[in-house]
Amino acid sequence: MNLLHHIKHTRAKQKRKQPIKRDVFNQICSLVKQYDLKESFLSVLDNVEDDLSGENLKFNRVKLKAPMESSLFSLATKDEYSLTMSIIDKVNNSYLKFAHSPEEILLCGPLYRLNPTLGPEKLMRYHFETLFLHERAKANHMKT
Amino acid sequence: MRQLLNSDLELFVESDFIYLPLLFDPEIEKETQALLQSGRAVENSGETESKIIVKIKDIHFIKTLSLHSLLKNYEEINAYSYKHLRNACLQKYHLTREVDSIFFGETLNTILFQVMPYFVRKNRGLQRKNLSDEEILDFVGEKIHIPGRYYKEAETFGDLQPLQAILKGLEDEKPIYKPPVNGLFTGRKLREWLHEAVHANVLASEQKRIAETLKVREQFSQAKPKHIAILLYLADTGSLEIDGFGFTRKNGYKGEYFVYKRVGEFVLKDYYARSYLFPACRVAVSTYTPFRPFVMEKYKHPFLLRHKSGQEICMQHFAPPNEFTAENAIRILEEGLTALRYGYNARRRNGYHSLDRTWVYIPTIDFEDYRI
Repeated sequence: MNLLHHIKHTRAKQKRKQPIKRDVFNQICSLVKQYDLKESFLSVLDNVEDDLSGENLKFNRVKLKAPMESSLFSLATKDEYSLTMSIIDKVNNSYLKFAHSPEEILLCGPLYRLNPTLGPEKLMRYHFETLFLHERAKANHMKT
Repeated sequence: MRQLLNSDLELFVESDFIYLPLLFDPEIEKETQALLQSGRAVENSGETESKIIVKIKDIHFIKTLSLHSLLKNYEEINAYSYKHLRNACLQKYHLTREVDSIFFGETLNTILFQVMPYFVRKNRGLQRKNLSDEEILDFVGEKIHIPGRYYKEAETFGDLQPLQAILKGLEDEKPIYKPPVNGLFTGRKLREWLHEAVHANVLASEQKRIAETLKVREQFSQAKPKHIAILLYLADTGSLEIDGFGFTRKNGYKGEYFVYKRVGEFVLKDYYARSYLFPACRVAVSTYTPFRPFVMEKYKHPFLLRHKSGQEICMQHFAPPNEFTAENAIRILEEGLTALRYGYNARRRNGYHSLDRTWVYIPTIDFEDYRI
């Protein structure tokens, strides 16, 4: 490729529309606003491991992922912002930006610990609870 | 902005600027921290020092609109609200166009004090006496019911002190409104201040009018409150009817009226002496050109071209006057009334249509349904 072609190629690439990347702040901030989450949600997030350790979670039927339209640019009040940042800091994993409900935020950490290599397609398509039960069943099967 | 001012959101006001609660995202937080750390949150803008971001009670506020600019351009920003506020303010001090028309305008005075006495029965028995203006107002007061609120308004109308104070303030070039004190405000409280400031601005723009109004009101200070109440009622409603004579304000025309006289049912005869009963109607003249008589209702008559409302009456040898005076108005109404009732000649079948069907009958307007 000569220089002229190279310049043309890079310019065409620059002009091409870039898809907006999923931003974890926008996603979580939208959820905080939509579900009107409060500080108490953080304590629920702390105790999520205890709830999942017992038989609280049973596979009854496949849970569907809640459809969600997060805003492109979220702006939050001081309280909403600090809660959003606290959630992001607490969970701190790459699955968080695929959460579509507070329930999925709670399952983010446990799911990541079970399998940190899930692809974005799966995370976008399936509810985290379904994925979590699947991964847990897989782990139990491996043990036996 | 409208939503902000109608909300209970807490705003901060400092040196004529509205500061709104700052909304965050990670980028904004970084910028805010950088600004606060470097001390650039304080900038020198002209003479006064104003900050871009202030922190009050652990809440960050960001500088947004200038109150002065908001007030100056309020008419463009929110035309509907400005018009509403302006009307409310002018009505509060009776500075409306309608009140002006009755206290300054010649037209309504002409109709009320010169044309109306000609058509209404003023005296009892065989007395024949010209009434003074005050007597005419007494007569109107006897004939129509004036709601109580106009009497209350007449009292406030007579109180010249508020307007005198406003005018004195304007002449002394005092600031027309007080800027709000620096500090926290709710949206609604700031809206109240803004409305008061708009009122003050409206009054300042009407300085000339206030001065003129004050002069006229001083003349009326000796008038009976009852008379003022009647005039205010007429200014507000713009219409009156006594003994079949009346006037009504024209929509869309400033200070213009229709003056009318009612005609009762009347009978006309055709070529074969058959009678036709015509229904009652109003013959009117406008205070604005053309000065020709017309029928206000939907009506048909040999002298009217079609069967619809607002048709001019066809009159031969009628030269309409060029200006509206009491004499002209009376003459036009009289001619119109006479033409309708007595103008049709059955032998000549004059006018646009004939009452009876002629040999060469072209069906245009038919009067068969009026036949008795």
